[in-house]
Amino acid sequence: MRRITVGGAVLRGAVSTALTISLMSGSALAAPPVDLSKWSPEYVRSIAGTQDFDTAGDCAKVTPLDYKGRLTFWYQGVFEGDPDLLRQYYKDFFATFRKTYPNIQLEEQALTYNDLLDKFRTALLGNAAPMAVRLQILGGTEFASKGYLQPLKPEDVGYSTEDFWPGAMKAVTWDGVTYGIPTNNETMAFIWNADIFKRAGLDPNKPPATWDDVVKYSKQIHDKLGIAGYGLVARKNAGNTPYRFMPQLWAYGGGVFDEAAPNPTYKEVQLNSPQSKAALQASYDMYVRDKSVPVSALTNQQADNQPLFLAGQLGMMISHPSDYNVMLDLQKKATGTDKDKAQTVIDNMRYGLIPTGPDGKRAVVFGGSNIHILKPEYVEGGKVDEPAAKAIICMWTSPEWSLKMAYAGSNPGNLNGFKTKWMKERLDSIKFLDVTTSMLPYGIPFPALPQSPEIMNIIVPDMLQNALTGAMTVDQAADDAAKKVKDLMGGGL
Amino acid sequence: MTIVSGKADARRRLQSARSDVLRKMWEHRADYAYVLPAIAVMLIVIAYPIYYTIELSFFNTPPGLQLRDKIFVGFNNYTAILTSGVFWQVTFNTLIWTVASTFFSFVLGFAAALALHRDFVGRGVLRAILIIPWVISAVAASYIWKWIYHSDFGIIGAILVELGWAERPPNFIDSVSTVLPSLIVVNIWREFPFAMIMMTAGLQTVPEQLLRAAKVDGANAWQRFWHVTFPHLRNVSTVTILLLAVANFNSFIIPWIMTGGGPSNASHIWITHIYELAFGRQRWGVASAYSVLLFIILMTLGYFYVRALSGNERKDGSA
Repeated sequence: MRRITVGGAVLRGAVSTALTISLMSGSALAAPPVDLSKWSPEYVRSIAGTQDFDTAGDCAKVTPLDYKGRLTFWYQGVFEGDPDLLRQYYKDFFATFRKTYPNIQLEEQALTYNDLLDKFRTALLGNAAPMAVRLQILGGTEFASKGYLQPLKPEDVGYSTEDFWPGAMKAVTWDGVTYGIPTNNETMAFIWNADIFKRAGLDPNKPPATWDDVVKYSKQIHDKLGIAGYGLVARKNAGNTPYRFMPQLWAYGGGVFDEAAPNPTYKEVQLNSPQSKAALQASYDMYVRDKSVPVSALTNQQADNQPLFLAGQLGMMISHPSDYNVMLDLQKKATGTDKDKAQTVIDNMRYGLIPTGPDGKRAVVFGGSNIHILKPEYVEGGKVDEPAAKAIICMWTSPEWSLKMAYAGSNPGNLNGFKTKWMKERLDSIKFLDVTTSMLPYGIPFPALPQSPEIMNIIVPDMLQNALTGAMTVDQAADDAAKKVKDLMGGGL
Repeated sequence: MTIVSGKADARRRLQSARSDVLRKMWEHRADYAYVLPAIAVMLIVIAYPIYYTIELSFFNTPPGLQLRDKIFVGFNNYTAILTSGVFWQVTFNTLIWTVASTFFSFVLGFAAALALHRDFVGRGVLRAILIIPWVISAVAASYIWKWIYHSDFGIIGAILVELGWAERPPNFIDSVSTVLPSLIVVNIWREFPFAMIMMTAGLQTVPEQLLRAAKVDGANAWQRFWHVTFPHLRNVSTVTILLLAVANFNSFIIPWIMTGGGPSNASHIWITHIYELAFGRQRWGVASAYSVLLFIILMTLGYFYVRALSGNERKDGSA
């Protein structure tokens, strides 16, 4: 017979009361921190600066601040196309982490978007991966499906799944298990130079409403002014290409599969559908028929479009709100009359929603990055310091740092980031931020499949290049790409 | 009886030869001990990767599976390669790239070596300047050339437009027809100094008295070159050409950085294609099969290289 002591009863009572309170007030039972159904620039402004967060205090509950350990960490860092402002936030983050966790020996390594996947894959083959990694949204499923990643959900680092965009959580879920946490999520916008529009006889305050208008405007700009109209990007193995072509493909009603549908199944390949071919035809018309886009589009990426735009040699492009800051950074480096010319371009820089397709469909890539923890057997030394990994993940995905690390170019992965004082500051200081937040509801994630990196980084750009170089007709290029996707999905060589 | 004794005789001779070899090996045991670490390192860093590449070439490695879960497919990777249109396009590109780069680098290097063989003021400075393309980083050179060639705001295009010689900048690396020749020019620019150095060294071995004797006998400059200088340079030329050919077959940096093999595979050569298959598409099996084929070709070239070197040694020994 069990004896019930007064002390034991008090202890059990205290524990159960504490547990109930923590569940009610904590993240486990929390509703989404923002109302996604009300999403609009006004709503975002209304919630900005309404809540304070104690990052170190929250993360101390996950990993004590005096924890002693060692962490190897790779991350997709800033690249040549990012503004200086973002570089500073990255420096600040690592300095703050070291100050907050002085006993964790952090060995971090930054890699650019285009290099990270190759290097990470190679490291995994030699069981020499880092303990934690921050990957582009496209990469998580591939590594989760291969069994390299440990299950990891927001609750493991003190947050709630509802704190993150549902679409972003899909990108870190494989076979019903969550393998990572979103750090930032982004949607791009349409940028144009109002002065170029005016000189070309277009309404300077009215962006093209449809992709067909983009083709027309691009030709008009080129014919009237002799400069490039639209900043097409078709380089292979560069993230910039799918981020700019997929919105066009989806707007025309096409897709690689049915990823633009509310509940995608990824069963049927649609790259060669009439709608997909119409989207490819629009690119062909601009590059080959009208010659109204940069000739260098096949070897360029967005970082090459930025100086063209600043030099007043490009009328329209798709990019982040950060491009405004990039222009300011580039303008500072210009000298003499170039400085004034650049200032004129910056003064005439306008942001708008990405154009729709013929049926009014508007779409944009729901991009971003996720953070993951590796399984010990794939890590150099065969050990993963989980508390140390969770400490950096808690900090990076916190409302504060998920916002600061996405300050100029993206949006916080943690929806609570929209409530912070830094969001309010950001809305006041980052011009055109409203436009990109307005694009978020139109965001479509890349297919959550292990084959997605190859499809987006190689097959889709190949299709574009085959059509734009005349190596194949538009129909042949689309059929060829669709066949490659089918073969890939069928496990072909 | 005779047959039996013949067999026994042969066995005895074989045993004697074996014991002779073993005896010699034992006598040279210290020598073997000295080279053992080098052999061990070579086995680890060369022999094992070759074995593993050959093994991997018989497996399929789909993107959703780890390498350890690879699927045995026999010779399917080789069949897939040889029946693929891209293979023949890439092979054609590789041949054009290798032959053109090797030939023009050699000819230009040889011409520069001949020009600089004469004594004139500033020869040393000019020699140093011409070596610059070879000593600067290939990565840096590729980025510089990418900007020189840029189809919208490259230096060459800007100059041509400024001078009124072209209406718009020429399309060097964004066209399937001009990309490969444009990259070959960069490669020649980088490689000809190597040929120049090799041929300069070769020219210094041509006996001066033979040239003077030929001149006394009334031979003109061309005859002196063709009948005296060139025969002396035959072996160094062979070695230089073979080294250039092997290096060009293995080229990666210039095409990868400048075009990534594009547009539309027009500048993909074997190495860049293998890299993309392996690291971009994770087709480790197909990439390994490609590598095995390339290995066979390079080993064949290597055989001729060693033969050329041996020929040199024999000739030097007999001289």
